[in-house]
Amino acid sequence: MFDETPCEAIILRYTNYGEADRIVTLLTREHGVCSAFARNARKSRRRFGGALQPFSRVRVSWQQRRRAGMAQLAEVEFLDGAGALLANLDALALAAYGCELVSALLPEQHPAPEVYQVLDAFLCYLPVAESFPTARLLLELRLLDLAGLLPHIGHCASCWQPLRDEWLLFDARRGGTLCPRCCQDRAGVVVQATTLGSLVRLLRVEHHLFSGIRLSDQTLEQGAVLVQQAVGYSVSHPLKSEQFLDLLDGGHNGVLA
Amino acid sequence: MLSSIPSLTRLVAELGKFPGIGRKTATRLAFYVLQQSDAQAQALMDAIHDVKQNVSYCSRCFHVTEQDPCALCTAMDRDDALLCVVEQPQDLMAIERGHAYRGRYHVLHGVLSPLDGVGPDDLKVDELVERVRRGCVEEVIVATNFSVEGEATALYLSRMLQPLEVKITRLAHGIPMGSDLEYVDEATVGRAIEGRRDI
Repeated sequence: MFDETPCEAIILRYTNYGEADRIVTLLTREHGVCSAFARNARKSRRRFGGALQPFSRVRVSWQQRRRAGMAQLAEVEFLDGAGALLANLDALALAAYGCELVSALLPEQHPAPEVYQVLDAFLCYLPVAESFPTARLLLELRLLDLAGLLPHIGHCASCWQPLRDEWLLFDARRGGTLCPRCCQDRAGVVVQATTLGSLVRLLRVEHHLFSGIRLSDQTLEQGAVLVQQAVGYSVSHPLKSEQFLDLLDGGHNGVLA
Repeated sequence: MLSSIPSLTRLVAELGKFPGIGRKTATRLAFYVLQQSDAQAQALMDAIHDVKQNVSYCSRCFHVTEQDPCALCTAMDRDDALLCVVEQPQDLMAIERGHAYRGRYHVLHGVLSPLDGVGPDDLKVDELVERVRRGCVEEVIVATNFSVEGEATALYLSRMLQPLEVKITRLAHGIPMGSDLEYVDEATVGRAIEGRRDI
């Protein structure tokens, strides 16, 4: 049963529906990722104004539903916009990726207070980010962890023994990190134990903290490969916003530089 | 009921493919066409046929036109140094209705949308860069909509055009003329405050 109490939400995306309406995908603490129907959202600027733009933090009131079906928005109060994000293309592209990743990793209508906190902190941090690659790695790592999809990184996924070797292999399809004894075929991404140690330590940091975290080039490089492989394995389809990130990186030395 | 009249069924089906036209409206329109004289129905058919035959995109600005280059690209009284970039031909028409702009145009035919997988290759971005590189443009006015996608497109264009050493400007935005502050939404008021200017 969908609780129709007004709640705070982050707009993840919207799709135009018919001539005047929109279907909005939201992230709320109470319902997690959920879709809602915004009647006349395109036709009437007064109904929702600019509040339904992606990355906006809003307070939503739900329309009382007479029968089962998609939730419907009655009112949306704008709390915070994406104003600061709109001044930086790399930040904006990474924000889009973050929203799409949340939609892709989380099931619909499951409470997700921690994911809400992570995404909210991530979107607030991006306009002042010291390092976009660090922000991306932190977001991916935390979302995989909160969604219960993070492969084993603190011990061997096959024999469950602590990782004692300096070099190890990682293969998301086989559960995560594998010690050399369990991975005789040498298939997988080569990763240093120190990188895995850093990733494990990062998971102990409070999830809403993005600022002030500095990672070595090695952790960033190997961590990104490892986590992105895990993301690719966890989501059912390639993320569209990731192609845009790659485009910016390839052409202009941006997000992933 | 309509299935026993195949011609009418076909017309309803075709009209129903138009945006915003449901089955009921399509049926009403089909009956309206049926009640028209042969000459009126022929005029409608000719108009649709002519649009498809004669209207194409201008090879310079990509606006809709019956002659290439279009009248806006060949008009002698327009300023070649000013180039206004818009999302769609309808946006160009809206700016023309303002009677305040006398430069040239470039229609992108869309906006970048990372969440929908629309990238620069899907728009007329390369053509714009080439046009600015070749021509005598001094200022590019980015007039994409004030949505996240429109802003992303503006930032991307700015990044692509900056090496060409042209002035890049963005349309001002804020409170609409004649509106009451009381009824303006929070996001617009916020952006208007951020974009305030000296008087």
